[in-house]
Amino acid sequence: MDKVDEERLLVEAAKKDPCRFAELYERHFALVYAYAARRLGNRTEAQDVTSEAFHQALSNIGNFEWRGVPFGAWLIRIAANALSDHWRHAAREQGNPAPDNPGHGDVSPEEIEQRAQLFRMVDRLPAVQRRVIQMRFAEEKSIREIAQVLRKTEGAVKQLQFRALDNLRALTSQKRKPGKNTGEANG
Amino acid sequence: MAKRSLSEQLNQLVDALLAHPAAPTAPRAEAQTAALARIAADLRGLPREKFKAQLKAELGRRKSMASKPVPVAEPVPAQTAIPYLCFKDASAAIEFYKKVFGATEVMRLTEPSGKIGHAEIRIGNSRIMMSDEYAEYGALSPESLGGSAVKMNLSVADVDAVVKQAVAADARIVRPVEDQFYGERSGQIADPFGYTWIVSTTKETVSAAEMQRRMDAMFQQPEKQPKQGVDPASKGLFTLTPYLVVQDAPALVEFLKKVFPAEERFRSIGSAGGNHIDVRVGDSALMIGGGGGGVAWRGENQPMAFHVYVEDTDAAYKRALEAGGVSIGAPADQPYGERSASVKDAFGNYWYIATSEGETYQPKDTPTVQPYLHPLRAEPVISFLKRAFGAEELARHASADGVVQHAKVKIGDGRLEMGEAHGNYQPMPSMFYLRVPDVDAVYKRAIQAGGTSIWEPAGQPYGDRVGGVKDPFGNQWYIATLIKDASA
Repeated sequence: MDKVDEERLLVEAAKKDPCRFAELYERHFALVYAYAARRLGNRTEAQDVTSEAFHQALSNIGNFEWRGVPFGAWLIRIAANALSDHWRHAAREQGNPAPDNPGHGDVSPEEIEQRAQLFRMVDRLPAVQRRVIQMRFAEEKSIREIAQVLRKTEGAVKQLQFRALDNLRALTSQKRKPGKNTGEANG
Repeated sequence: MAKRSLSEQLNQLVDALLAHPAAPTAPRAEAQTAALARIAADLRGLPREKFKAQLKAELGRRKSMASKPVPVAEPVPAQTAIPYLCFKDASAAIEFYKKVFGATEVMRLTEPSGKIGHAEIRIGNSRIMMSDEYAEYGALSPESLGGSAVKMNLSVADVDAVVKQAVAADARIVRPVEDQFYGERSGQIADPFGYTWIVSTTKETVSAAEMQRRMDAMFQQPEKQPKQGVDPASKGLFTLTPYLVVQDAPALVEFLKKVFPAEERFRSIGSAGGNHIDVRVGDSALMIGGGGGGVAWRGENQPMAFHVYVEDTDAAYKRALEAGGVSIGAPADQPYGERSASVKDAFGNYWYIATSEGETYQPKDTPTVQPYLHPLRAEPVISFLKRAFGAEELARHASADGVVQHAKVKIGDGRLEMGEAHGNYQPMPSMFYLRVPDVDAVYKRAIQAGGTSIWEPAGQPYGDRVGGVKDPFGNQWYIATLIKDASA
């Protein structure tokens, strides 16, 4: 079964039973978040827009019609809508006219997909490397804080950070080569 | 330790990146660490696992409420088949349907560019889905396709009121509201986006069997209208009717209404997706075709010239300029007993407005509107008209050096004037609808006289048998004989 058919089945399942929406969420979370983060550059706002997009998607999944547009594209459309609402709202609060795309130039779907791919790859890192990356980049902790949590030396954390980034580079460049399966992380 | 120094170096870059979240990439990265710094730069947008888990839980809790979705607040009755309409401007269409049909907007998904990817409205108990055009997915609007084969049937409480409202909002009447044999009072309108709506109100419940009986009875009725071309110039019109083609036909009609006592008699959309509007000016008919009002037709203006009698040339000239016309010649008394002025409209047509100084402002036996040709030479044109259509030359005035300044011919009971091309007045190949008693015979004569065929004579859905001929001077003649009154 190809990826499209599989996704189609998942969408049909979610339409009948909203519990099944979780699977679609897992598959597409990184994409929607990458889109929002790339367009907003502020974590709280990116979270708000992602949250809004998935809530709306769940509400309207019954209306999603399969017409050759991938489910991900539908989600991005909803996210784009939530994003412009967000900007309109923000502009109204500040009394400014809504900027079309404040501070962040046009983002290509390829770039968003690449970013989403990177986020998905983090989950494939060895557990400790994944924790370092999560704490360092998502929770914005310093090397010292991470060292304390993990009970390791700062030097060891820096080494883990280096190895994690090196693995991600390998994983993402491997992924970009057509016709090759993505191997398991090896670090 | 090389490894240690690399990880140290990289960490410094990561620190810099995290300190400047907007910086596109790390500053001054060395080749070895540059690739990793790029990964690090992208990771600044990494979502928090905690957020992802929380949102998932939140969505999971909503599953019990999912049957009550947020934007689709009201329960929508089940509807298995839903029309999906496509528009050049779905947003304008939604506004129109709200205003005219009392639609409510259910949802709308918009791209950052403002393009509507999907929207839903509700009219009465029916959902209708729509989107803007997506040519790449084959989603094209009637405006791009040149019409829609599918019509929507809309049941309303008061068809007359709804149609009136629709027309006020720029819809066009395709078929006027009438009581129908199947128990409904209905009419058809074309909305500004190219969709046709059959609007109806049920007046009487009629069984299918009764409908069939009434329909059979209609077919058995003897035809009251004449069958063969015994009435070539039906309904009191002249046999020669000019056919203008302009890029905005409704706008030209408005211009004519402002300038002359002009009256619109009929409007429809032709098979080529263009407007067809019949206008009456005084005792003369004009057919106007072309684009405008959201129809699919695209093409060039084909300007013509006309000599039009009015009660007051000066006043009509003033109205023409106010309506956007451009002056070619201000009102002046002419040596041939007329006061006249010339105006060019927005589509390039020339209007020679005139008031006769004779007994009446419009000379007896002369139509209000006479098409006016500016051929390079008049003689061959007159000769063609005589041979092809049996035209009769009524007058010819030539200057001393032989230039025909004015000639007048009669074709059937219609009139055509001409003056040889000079200065601003250059040939304007024109189009005419010519009613004759026997289209096949006249078509043959026109070809023999040097015309080339546009179409061989054939029956048309509006009841005429029509053949098309182009004369050697570029004018097009649609020769027609009434075969069957389409309204019968």
